[in-house]
Amino acid sequence: MSDWVSYYRGEGPQEDEEEEQDEERAEAVADYRFLGRDSLVFLVDASKGMFEPDGDGATPFDMAIQCIWSVYTSKIISSDRDLLGVVFYGTEENKNSADFKHVYVLQELDNPGAKRVLELDQYRGDKGQVLFRDTFGHNADYSLGEALWACSNLFSDVRVRLSHKRIMLFTNEDDPHANDSVKAKMARTRAGDLRDTGIILDLMHLKKPGGFDISLFYRDIVNIAEDEDLGIQPEQSEKLEHLMKKVRAKETKKRTLARLNLYLNKDLSLSVGVYNLLHKAYKPYPVKLYRETNELVKIKTRMFNAQTGSLLLPSDTKRAQTYGNRQIVLEKEETEELRRFGSAGLYLIGFKPLSVLKQHHHIRPSQFIYPEESLISGSTTLFNALLMKCLEREMMILCRYTARQNTPPRFVALVPQEEEVDEQKVQIAPPGFHIIFLPYADDKRKVDFTEKLPASREQVDKMKEIVQKLRFKYRIDSFENPVLQQHFRNLEALALGLLEPEQAEDLTMPKVEEMNRRLGNLVEEFKQLVYPPDYNPNGKSVKQNQASDGPAKKRVKVEISKDELRSHVQKGTLGKLTVPVLKDACRLYGLKGGGKKQELMDALTEYFNEH
Amino acid sequence: MFWLSLEVAIVLCLDVGFTMSSSAPGEECSLEQAKKIMTKFVQRQVFAESKDEIAVVLFGTDGTRNDLASRDQYQNITVHRSLMLPDFDLLEDIQDVIKPGSEQADFLDAIIVCMDLLQKQTIGKKYEKRHIELFTDLSSPVSEDQLEIIIANLKKTGISLQFFLPFPVDVDDGGGDPSAGVHSHIHRNPFPRKGLTEQQKEGIDVVRKLMHTLDEEGGLEEIYTFRESLERLSMFKKIERRPMAWPCQLTIGSNLSIRIVAYKSVKEKVKKVWTTVDAKTLRKDDVQKETVYCLNDDVETEVQKDDTIQGFRYGSDIVPFSKEDEEQMKYKTEAKCFSVLGFSRSSQVQHCYMGNQVLKVFAAKDDENAAVAFSALVHALDELKVVAVVRYAYDRRCNPQIGSAFPYIKDAYECLIYVQLPYMEDLRQYIFSSLKNNKKYIPTADQLSAVDSLIDSMNLVYEADDGETFEDLFKPSKIPNPHFQRLYQCLQHKAFHPNEPLPPIEEHILEMLEMPSVVKERCQGPLEKIKALFPLKEVGKKKEKMTAQDIFKDSSEDGPNPKKPKIEDEEGSFSIMKLAEGNVTSVSMFLQISFLKEEQLINRIDQFLENKGSQYYMKGINCIRVFREEAVKLSKVQCFNDFLQALKSKVEDKALADFWEIMIQGRMAFF
Repeated sequence: MSDWVSYYRGEGPQEDEEEEQDEERAEAVADYRFLGRDSLVFLVDASKGMFEPDGDGATPFDMAIQCIWSVYTSKIISSDRDLLGVVFYGTEENKNSADFKHVYVLQELDNPGAKRVLELDQYRGDKGQVLFRDTFGHNADYSLGEALWACSNLFSDVRVRLSHKRIMLFTNEDDPHANDSVKAKMARTRAGDLRDTGIILDLMHLKKPGGFDISLFYRDIVNIAEDEDLGIQPEQSEKLEHLMKKVRAKETKKRTLARLNLYLNKDLSLSVGVYNLLHKAYKPYPVKLYRETNELVKIKTRMFNAQTGSLLLPSDTKRAQTYGNRQIVLEKEETEELRRFGSAGLYLIGFKPLSVLKQHHHIRPSQFIYPEESLISGSTTLFNALLMKCLEREMMILCRYTARQNTPPRFVALVPQEEEVDEQKVQIAPPGFHIIFLPYADDKRKVDFTEKLPASREQVDKMKEIVQKLRFKYRIDSFENPVLQQHFRNLEALALGLLEPEQAEDLTMPKVEEMNRRLGNLVEEFKQLVYPPDYNPNGKSVKQNQASDGPAKKRVKVEISKDELRSHVQKGTLGKLTVPVLKDACRLYGLKGGGKKQELMDALTEYFNEH
Repeated sequence: MFWLSLEVAIVLCLDVGFTMSSSAPGEECSLEQAKKIMTKFVQRQVFAESKDEIAVVLFGTDGTRNDLASRDQYQNITVHRSLMLPDFDLLEDIQDVIKPGSEQADFLDAIIVCMDLLQKQTIGKKYEKRHIELFTDLSSPVSEDQLEIIIANLKKTGISLQFFLPFPVDVDDGGGDPSAGVHSHIHRNPFPRKGLTEQQKEGIDVVRKLMHTLDEEGGLEEIYTFRESLERLSMFKKIERRPMAWPCQLTIGSNLSIRIVAYKSVKEKVKKVWTTVDAKTLRKDDVQKETVYCLNDDVETEVQKDDTIQGFRYGSDIVPFSKEDEEQMKYKTEAKCFSVLGFSRSSQVQHCYMGNQVLKVFAAKDDENAAVAFSALVHALDELKVVAVVRYAYDRRCNPQIGSAFPYIKDAYECLIYVQLPYMEDLRQYIFSSLKNNKKYIPTADQLSAVDSLIDSMNLVYEADDGETFEDLFKPSKIPNPHFQRLYQCLQHKAFHPNEPLPPIEEHILEMLEMPSVVKERCQGPLEKIKALFPLKEVGKKKEKMTAQDIFKDSSEDGPNPKKPKIEDEEGSFSIMKLAEGNVTSVSMFLQISFLKEEQLINRIDQFLENKGSQYYMKGINCIRVFREEAVKLSKVQCFNDFLQALKSKVEDKALADFWEIMIQGRMAFF
């Protein structure tokens, strides 16, 4: 099983698994069970105006479809338990449970899957628009109120519990019922009902010639989530990337990892919510299917006593660690108790200038805090005061952080972040503090540094020219994970019965040709300044550098005599031998040792104690 | 390979002569103190899983057991334990087996036995250091005849020597400069100044001579008192990991490469995993795990593992995808690499690091050309304030990472520091309400100045007297991880007292986690001010798991909830929320008026459930409860039971199992 875990979760053999992450993952799953699933309905205006091209760009309708399609594919990767649905209004055809005219439910709320993605894919691009027109037609005699009603029916028809309900409305018509006060009133009433039943309604307004005026109609319709209020209206989206940004920001429900107190001292505290803005996306665990029918099989694991064969309950076991040749046994509860240092919370230690934060003191991805009024009212103002002052004085807050009751404390730096919106008035940096985890003394390692040999001014300057030629603007979402992308393309191809999976472009590979072209002669000039003519930096080094790669080296048998082994066993120094040596020794005496070092050592110890 | 070079061979040489076990009333005898130090020392080695080997030599024992012993030579010296890895047996020996002797022996003789042991038992192995630690009260007669030979031999073999004494050497010695003696801070820890005997004074002279000759400069600093040693050993030692070098080439385009070597420099230390053992036999092998696969049918038909294949979820689809196919089709990392993709302003990559480690990258060893080229790169990045964005793959089997490599220049060395950056898939873009655009949350000038003075009073970093350097009052990176300290403390306790509960956390561990006391005092005033200026009020407990008990609490407590958003009256719109807002009493009123129309009530309950949210459940359940009470009063039990039966099937139909669960927990059963 250990192999599996490293195969699916880790970055390979050099990465150790972290228990914390497991806990977090487990938490996320539990979260779903307890709170229910997130759901999102895309409500798309399909009246003629959406299909009118504007200059050279894509039509508003195409932008909406592109965007929805991309949310579907990314949901499959990041949160395939969320429910998505697509509804058109302003169509000639209709399909919905209440038989409203001109409202067409293309997809009811369900998990995104291959077929649904494929269905959406049909309506992308110019061809897609033609197909759409032929299939559904247009009709301007729709009622937005009915469209909203149809959406709310989708939510109540779902058979699982929903935690978060959201409608994203894509349109470029800012006053749909200008001449029909009855329909306008009905739309407002319906919108009010949505609000009352906790359904969020976001407006994704697209480009309208002459500009989209929210105040005409939609101001009374939209229903911004309480915790997402920027105090300003976003601009209309003229480009796909702008729309994508708006949609991305809202497509997942914000979840707190924890809500806890930030204690300034024993009896003065404010409350904050902790969020993960970064969370490693893993390849999902595989499931097991029955070969005959491809149906899902249940996997049950049980523990039993090897001697008696009787089933073991968790309470029939204890936990052990071995140190100094002795197995030390604790109750399971005790292994939890010893992780307990106090109740959860952030405990203020003091303030430090931001400049003393060492960038290379990194042990985990950061988290983020934002004030929380639900535990202590008034927290936001104090939080804001701390944030403003820390930003102004370039200070950070040093805290001791106990994330959960059974989590040992860590020291963290709270680094202030100023809120920032971009030109489209979309938030790109939220206000709050990043939680930067600081290493303990145990986490730092001494390294054997190479003596420095300073380069001359001329050499440094030449390198600066090279660097300048290769500058680009790093954006945090610049790179897709090629491993994940390929995995999901493979699945997609299999699910849809395609012959060949689409090859994902690997953005992590250097664009060598482009780089060489940009650099021109600079590389040669630099080499002439730095490397002697006969120097080959790519050549294998003279020393045993191959050790990590050379298979020849690995096979060298390390013989060890029986006496030596015996003496190691007696002195308890078996651990000094390497795993290959131990393996060979086990093989020599016909011992089954398993793959772990401790297991090999145990086998040998047992053998020599008996023989 | 220099595998064995970091190990040390140590002889713990303990005086157990009769004077060691005598003590003034109320004091611990020297032997007990010495044993405590040895215990602490060995414990640290055991938990650090150190590969250092330890031997134990006792002198002043009643018997004699050593290689050098002859008729009247080297008597009363016992080699208690040969050179080997320390373990719990050794700890038990120190606690229980090593007993005070009734003889005395010359500590110089004991040193010779130790040297002999070290020489013989380290033949054929390489150690970084060989070392003797001598614990004695210097009360036994000593003959200086061999002093010169000992010194010559120690020097020749490179064996080092440390003394641990119950008293500082500069007490009452009448000669020599005290400041040249032991560490100055010893003076702060006064020792019971019981007068030293003539014998002890003579002993001190010998020790002095010995240590001074061995090392003119620092020899005397290798003499420690029992007390200071105990203090120093109170922390468990951290495990020293041998850094693994990762050689590679840093490439910029296809024509420029620089030979580099990288090491992990920061990485969260991982704890050992707990193995599961049988509670009775305490054997790991007795616990076996078995995995069975079964179909999702009524009888859960078991199927063989061989009859299963691997699959993955693709959204709502499940795609069969065998391991072989997956292996064939998966992304393949070509080879290990450290390739520059481009350079970006360093301010663009802050606070968004992924992964759980940091690499330090240097030029390859013993390659001057690489060193110069590397230095040019480091300085170029530093001067331009940019970082390199690189693709890093540890080896063929590993997934590639994107990371940032930034320059780090110290007096002794210069390097690039590599930290992983997130992939697009790792990001969670959340929107948070604006703080600056909401007047409600803008602090007043008074409030801001209170925060200002708090920051002033709690600033941990201040300029040192020289005006150039900074003093930092609190450095987390110097603090050992309390979790490991606690784990070792508990393991150690359990090793000797398996049936006792865990000991309390040691005081010094807790202290280490608190803010410095100076700061604590300074911030009192400003904190009071903050408390006065910012109205903070606890509004409720954390949302805990909703249990039936919460829902069925006494209805009188269930008053209107101030947290709920206000609902403004909409023209002509019917709102479920409004009804749901009503508390039980009003529900009850409503019922009494319209009880005869049960249907209406049942409709309302259905409406609550349609909305599938716990706040509606509560309202729904309240309605049901009132229904039940009223049904009892009006003897309309059948009516309620029918309703409940209908509700049950509805619940099953609508996947409202959680609601039913709450009902059951609340004993809202049939009559």
